[in-house]
Amino acid sequence: MEQALLAFSHGTGIFDFMHSPWGWPVAESLHFLGLSLLIGTVGVFDLRMIGLGPGIPYRNLHRMVPIGVLGYAINLVTGTMFLSSAPDQYLYNPAFQTKLGFMLLAGCNMIWFYTTCSTEVRTTSDSLPVSGRAKLIGTVSLLAWCTIIVCGRLITYYRPPYHWCFWC
Amino acid sequence: MLRESGVAFFSSLTLHSLAMAFVVGINLALAFSLLGLIPSLLNRRFEPFFALHWWAVGLIFVSGVALLIAYPAKALTNPVFYLKFTALSAGLLITRRLQRSVSGRTAAHQPPPGDKFSSRIPTALAMLSCWMLTIGAGRFLAYTHSVLLASRYF
Repeated sequence: MEQALLAFSHGTGIFDFMHSPWGWPVAESLHFLGLSLLIGTVGVFDLRMIGLGPGIPYRNLHRMVPIGVLGYAINLVTGTMFLSSAPDQYLYNPAFQTKLGFMLLAGCNMIWFYTTCSTEVRTTSDSLPVSGRAKLIGTVSLLAWCTIIVCGRLITYYRPPYHWCFWC
Repeated sequence: MLRESGVAFFSSLTLHSLAMAFVVGINLALAFSLLGLIPSLLNRRFEPFFALHWWAVGLIFVSGVALLIAYPAKALTNPVFYLKFTALSAGLLITRRLQRSVSGRTAAHQPPPGDKFSSRIPTALAMLSCWMLTIGAGRFLAYTHSVLLASRYF
């Protein structure tokens, strides 16, 4: 896995870019920008479902989701750049593993939202609260994204092999 | 003490990132709203999100001061720190101005295009520039310092 990622990184020129003086901070800046786009769109929509900002039309905030998807795409690209440029620092890092776990949770939660209550939420009157299930989905989504940010910061502190981890 | 305590330093750093994500996120949403990419958020109904935004700004300030106390020389000797501070302050001033301009407006009464917001596109572009500069400078801070600890000079 490690070798395959490194070969991909070398083959595409990502490795050379990331190990240039500007590579890592530029990719980190874009990664944070993507994350902010997610929080500013999906996070705001989650907060509205939870009950903040009564009166703001749900369907209007839901129209921001494609911008959140753009943020996610930026993060996927920059995240792959980090991972493939230093795979040993990520693959065995408990913070990175936890981050991936919460990304999976956020993904499953999004599928749950679109398969069960997205239409219901978009057609709910502006002045009414959404169903309990939609509130739960919004809460899980918001907590998952906040935990992903925390785990992202923790990656630096759990660099292998000098870390404590009960499952590694 | 803050520097040596892993938990305290890490907590400050994490809080700073979390709060920054909320502040930048809400501002980006407002900028996209001004550009017309998403339905307008500029009405009084958005006030609770402005309140959340200012709470997050408070957290940025507190955690930022904690990080500055931990490594004062690292930040204060780096011009990138002042760039971040300037861009952040300019971004917040624009947000405050925007919030004031909508505080008297009801959700039902939206101004016609080109009314009070004839400067909406320059404002949105200024907001986007400020926040991208803030993020970029924040990340570059970790890589561009020439002094880590002042004590090396004593």
